[in-house]
Amino acid sequence: MRLPAWLAQHLAALRALLVLTVLLGLAYPLLLVGAGRIPGLSGPASGSMTPVGSTLIGQSFTDAGGNPVPKYFQSRPSAAGDGYDPTATGASNLGPEDVVDTPARQSLLTRVCGRSVAVGKLEGVDGRRPYCTGDGVGAVLAVFHRDGFTGPVTRVVSVNQTGTPFLARYQGVTVEPAKEGEDYRALGGVITPIRGDAPDRPVVPADAVTASGSGLDPHISPAYAALQAPRVARERGIDVSRVREMITAYTEGRAVGFLGEPGVDVLDLNLALDGR
Amino acid sequence: MAGWLFPLTLAAALVAVYRPFGDHLYRVVTGARHHRIERGVYRLVGVDASTGQTWGVYARSVLAFSAVSVLFLYAFLRLQDRLWLSLGLPAVADHIAWNTAVSFVTNTNWQAYSGESTMGHLVQMAGLTVQNFVSASVGIAVAVVLMRGFAARGEKLLGNFWVDLTRITLRVLLPLSVLFALVFMVGGVVQNLSGGVDVTTLTGGAQHITGGPVASQEVIKELGTNGGGFYNANSAHPFENPTAWTNWLQVFLILLIPFSLPRVFGRMVGQNRQGYAIVAVMAILALGSIALTVGFETHGAGTVPQAVGAAMEGKETRFGVANSAAFAAATTLTSTGAVNSFHDSYTALGGMMPLVNMMLGEVAPGGVGSGLYGMLILAVITVFVAGLMVGRTPEYLGKRIQAREIKLASLYFLVTPLVVLVGTAAAFATGNAATALNAGPHGLSEVLYAFTSAGNNNGSAFAGITVNTRWWDTALGLAMLFGRFLPMILVLALAGSLARQRPAPASDGTLPTHQPLFVGMVAGVTVVLVALTFLPALALGPLAEGLR
Amino acid sequence: MTTTLNDLVDVGPAPEPPTRPVGAGLLDPGQLWRSLPGALRKLDPRVMWRNPVMFIVEVGAVFTTVLSIAGPSVFAWAITVWLWLTVIFANLAEAVAEGRGKAQAAALRNAKQDTIAYLRDGREIPATGLAQGDVVIVGAGQIIPGDGDVIEGIASVDESAITGESAPVIRESGGDRSAVTGGTRVLSDRIVVRITQKPGESFVDRMIALVEGANRQKTPNEIALNILLAALTIIFLLAVVTLQPLAIFSKAYQAAAPDTTAVDGDGVTGIVLVSLLVCLIPTTIGALLSAIGIAGMDRLVQRNVLAMSGRAVEAAGDVDTLLLDKTGTITLGNRQAAEFVPVDGVDRLALADAAQLSSLADETPEGRSIVVLAENEHGLRDREPGRLSDATFVPFTAQTRMSGVDLGSRRIRKGAAAAVTKWARANGGHPAEQVGAIVDMISDSGGTPLVVAENDRVLGVIHLKDVVKPGMRDRFGEMRRMGIRTVMITGDNPRTAAAIAAEAGVDDFLAEATPEDKLAYIRKEQEGGRLVAMTGDGTNDAPALAQADVGVAMNTGTSAAKEAGNMVDLDSDPTKLIEIVEIGKQLLITRGALTTFSIANDIAKYFAIIPAMFATVYPGLDLLNIMRLHSPGSAILSAVIFNAIVIVFLIPLALRGVRYRPSSASVLLRRNLLVYGLGGVITPFLGIKLIDLLIQLIPGI
Repeated sequence: MRLPAWLAQHLAALRALLVLTVLLGLAYPLLLVGAGRIPGLSGPASGSMTPVGSTLIGQSFTDAGGNPVPKYFQSRPSAAGDGYDPTATGASNLGPEDVVDTPARQSLLTRVCGRSVAVGKLEGVDGRRPYCTGDGVGAVLAVFHRDGFTGPVTRVVSVNQTGTPFLARYQGVTVEPAKEGEDYRALGGVITPIRGDAPDRPVVPADAVTASGSGLDPHISPAYAALQAPRVARERGIDVSRVREMITAYTEGRAVGFLGEPGVDVLDLNLALDGR
Repeated sequence: MAGWLFPLTLAAALVAVYRPFGDHLYRVVTGARHHRIERGVYRLVGVDASTGQTWGVYARSVLAFSAVSVLFLYAFLRLQDRLWLSLGLPAVADHIAWNTAVSFVTNTNWQAYSGESTMGHLVQMAGLTVQNFVSASVGIAVAVVLMRGFAARGEKLLGNFWVDLTRITLRVLLPLSVLFALVFMVGGVVQNLSGGVDVTTLTGGAQHITGGPVASQEVIKELGTNGGGFYNANSAHPFENPTAWTNWLQVFLILLIPFSLPRVFGRMVGQNRQGYAIVAVMAILALGSIALTVGFETHGAGTVPQAVGAAMEGKETRFGVANSAAFAAATTLTSTGAVNSFHDSYTALGGMMPLVNMMLGEVAPGGVGSGLYGMLILAVITVFVAGLMVGRTPEYLGKRIQAREIKLASLYFLVTPLVVLVGTAAAFATGNAATALNAGPHGLSEVLYAFTSAGNNNGSAFAGITVNTRWWDTALGLAMLFGRFLPMILVLALAGSLARQRPAPASDGTLPTHQPLFVGMVAGVTVVLVALTFLPALALGPLAEGLR
Repeated sequence: MTTTLNDLVDVGPAPEPPTRPVGAGLLDPGQLWRSLPGALRKLDPRVMWRNPVMFIVEVGAVFTTVLSIAGPSVFAWAITVWLWLTVIFANLAEAVAEGRGKAQAAALRNAKQDTIAYLRDGREIPATGLAQGDVVIVGAGQIIPGDGDVIEGIASVDESAITGESAPVIRESGGDRSAVTGGTRVLSDRIVVRITQKPGESFVDRMIALVEGANRQKTPNEIALNILLAALTIIFLLAVVTLQPLAIFSKAYQAAAPDTTAVDGDGVTGIVLVSLLVCLIPTTIGALLSAIGIAGMDRLVQRNVLAMSGRAVEAAGDVDTLLLDKTGTITLGNRQAAEFVPVDGVDRLALADAAQLSSLADETPEGRSIVVLAENEHGLRDREPGRLSDATFVPFTAQTRMSGVDLGSRRIRKGAAAAVTKWARANGGHPAEQVGAIVDMISDSGGTPLVVAENDRVLGVIHLKDVVKPGMRDRFGEMRRMGIRTVMITGDNPRTAAAIAAEAGVDDFLAEATPEDKLAYIRKEQEGGRLVAMTGDGTNDAPALAQADVGVAMNTGTSAAKEAGNMVDLDSDPTKLIEIVEIGKQLLITRGALTTFSIANDIAKYFAIIPAMFATVYPGLDLLNIMRLHSPGSAILSAVIFNAIVIVFLIPLALRGVRYRPSSASVLLRRNLLVYGLGGVITPFLGIKLIDLLIQLIPGI
């Protein structure tokens, strides 16, 4: 009996898929799993593990309440689950102009400002940033004009603050605090971030106030490590220069001299400080 | 400055392998001898490897194989809880299973799911990894058929799909995958069947360190310009892409086959300089795009990047801003869609570049196979306009470009805008755009990006948007399906049409298609056509956000 | 030498200088006005439908008209008016192109009607009643009643009705200038014409049908281009239509944005959306495409070439190989006397004198060239045959293979070497050995020896040689630069052929060519993928003419040849093939150039319209307003106006064709890309800005 051409074709396709599934879906990966058992490869292939985690996977160095444990170098902020959760990897996915807090969530700008103030407080340095208020939220006004985008200013609201606005007056108009849950853009306000007078290069480095892509970033920048060095030294009662030496020792330079950026593996450094 | 060495060293490496690797590919798709293992495969499949197929039969074979693949993968996903190594994960929901099956068969590898919390190891290996291989082979095979169409001298038979599929998979993709998977494992990419390890962190917290056969999938994810990550975080995940040098290697693997296929084209048509011309167009567009992306990201415009001092949100410390931006450009210039940083948090204009790269039709250099045939379609359209301007019926490589050829090329060119623009408009018109995470123009970009990525089979995302709803999974699934197979059928038909013609010899009156002028014109036509098609939509998305 | 020869022999119209670009048709501004009614008639949707691009513009214009009535404003009406004008301008282009043909056809009809044919047998019948084979007499001032051959007499004829060329041409019996065309006027003298046409199938009849574009069919390239334009139109339609939900979303998001003429709460207003669409779709080329095609045919007709199909014209642009007959095309129609070579002991003057005397009654071009050479080189005045009362002329016959004159006792003969020497011997002479040597020498150099003998004495040899037409070498060089191979076809032996081929500068030659050889050569070229063009006139050329991709039959040729070819050249000028190729190329180039121009224009229009639409929603987008246009309304209106008037500005170019100089493809592409690509990008920026500066003065914009 001869099968119709279309059926024969699909049966051939199915057989081809099954053959290739055995070759590519079983033989190939399992061969490599086998290779991963070879001494030398088995370490990395099974996850570069230490007793307290993987040196490749970042972790939070916080206590049960989520507060930084001061004797440890702190990792970057993380958007993976509640922070550094390998079962929920990912980033914040918030855009560069995400500056207005809503009842549902904080804006990216406010997150950055809040982290900066927190880090500044923890490390005892100036946590101010451009476009941030002193209390750590996005310095953003909704400016109402008579004719939409033009004409005299009729009303100004500091959209991320329900308390005292960061600015008293804007173009001669008194700045109001925001009411909880009010969408001032929908009311016709023009969203206007205010640069403020914070230095162009804030003391708190960029990686300290931003979440990584994976949420598992094991590294911090050498600058952020340097910022944390005095605190860690103080908490551990060791000389800050000793801490700095260890930072240098655990700083991974650019691969091959020009790839990527230098970073400090936080877990490795903390383990080393603990003498483990 | 170190940031610029990344693309430059990549370019140097790709130049170095262009000839040897391209020649290897050429031998694979033209060689007369069948390997012993391949003969075994043909026997098991039950096909006669010595017979050729017309374009129509070839197209039906491609469609049959892909249809069976979608069904097989869908069933696999729906039944995963009853299979081994499911890690206790439930069956995948029907709309996600449909979306994922289509996504991996179409070489899109869009992920409407989060890998670590949805897919067990067996599905990852025997379902997803397999499609990573074969969808890439299908793309290359179709491109090879188009090349055969250009090279043909009146023949009707354009090769045998089953032979092409088997050879490309077994002689090109598999050996390279084994080699580079081992290299990745040295770098720290995991390869095990562990269901994960629970650890107590240094400060007493709990952390579940995941495991899995990652390296074997990672390498083909890049080499086949697939892009579906084992984990949700994709190539940003330290277990997928642990170091700055594995990062370089990933981009190299992404670009390796697409940038080498023009060599095969040149050899196939008997004029290597034609291959050089095509690769030059690709390189011009790619370098321009990478430069702009890296430039925009390192410049770091926008309120939040200004507040931060760098566009570091969503980027890994070990890669830094510049290498992340270069990866983003490479992954969208091809149909890969793997990400090592999250495009949604890019600066407005830096984030527009991946979008534009995909809108270019992913031709610079594009997905494996699909990039070359897309570029050749653009070359055909350019030849037509340029050919008229030199006063002859347009010819490309001696093949006359007339009504039938232009009809097929034009339809090809119509598909993506149709899918992208209609899909985006429909999302807004039906209110489904409301699942965007970000507000205003950035939210619009998320929606536009989703359909651009699906329609061009890229798979990367402005990932803030929630797309695992029934509407989104269905709409994007259709976008991927149309965006993949309609162009393929048109390309195969074009190959058939070209093959029937006996080539005319070139003379001084023939438009030279290997000279810088033509190279520049193809690049110009590509950019202008794309700009004209998508500028209105871009104006309301990234441009509205980025221009102030 | 060249000039002398030219003066010596009437070679018909002077050859064109080789670099002369394909000539321009003139556009009379009044023509635009006269074509307006026709343009308006074409607004009928059933007619517009044939041109999808312009049909969409018309639909858009109807739509904005409705919107303008519903919500009148200066802006809305201004846009509406200009959209209608866009459609009308497009129709105008086509109407003007057709009108030129119609005017020509009308003139031709005038010339044809009321013509009386005076048959040789004395009957007078209307010209329309003539049958093939009738013989008519046409005197000075009369109109030739039908196509035919002059069988007696010589006359100057005014052919301006067909050619537009006011200078009269000479038509005479015998040779290659014997064909006359119906509808032309005899200015002097009187000729007898044998009618060759069938009733109603004269050149003029066919030309009328052709220039009126009665059954114009789209050519392959035109079809392909139409497909591409349709695809672009669909893409832009998509881009514009799908923009609306995005615009509504954006406007709603930016609550501060005021409602404007461009965007309100319902998204982009209908008028602006239609404006954007019309500006983006390729209206420029869409409007001019059919005019280009009609004008291309028109240019051929102006050169007295009748193409049976537009396809043949396009194929002419694609020709790779030109087969040219040696005689009449590459060389002057016939061999010319170049030199008198006396045998030792004979004065050159005596030889010239004898040669001239023997040729006085010889009306062949060769014979006359001998007379003329003797006159010019040796001052021997032409002597009227009739004044030599005692002369008896001996005509050439195939048996004797010589001709001559008997003047009393002087019996002079000239002819083939063997025949004349035999004749001299028969008269008792002993021709010198030297004669044979001279004859061989002339033969070796590709010439033809004619031996002259008087009574028993061989005086010497006349060297007849092929003379390559002046300027041909340059033209073949040009052809080579265009990538076209020229092949000389000749019945000569290979040695002779090689000598002439080298002198003329052709790429190849086919010697001792039989009709079968020609056919085989064409097939061989075509199998290699080349397109072949050839000219022919004889019945035995018919198979080759039919096989060639472009076969140009001479109007003087046989009807079999005319049926086989796909073009007929009324002037029967074989070199016209070269011009036909150029016209074919120019036609394609014009289409390509205007397509490029049309698409390149869109860039500037975007920079005008996108900021105009959306800068009120997102003020940052005003950065895209690089032309700094006055207001959203003026920006959109300027783009629409530019889009419309650019059509009018390009009508002359469409009718005339873009400038074409024979050169290689790279050179052509570089030039056209610069002019029409880069020019197409820059021009609208300037044009739109200029229009904006003017219309911002209109209140309400």
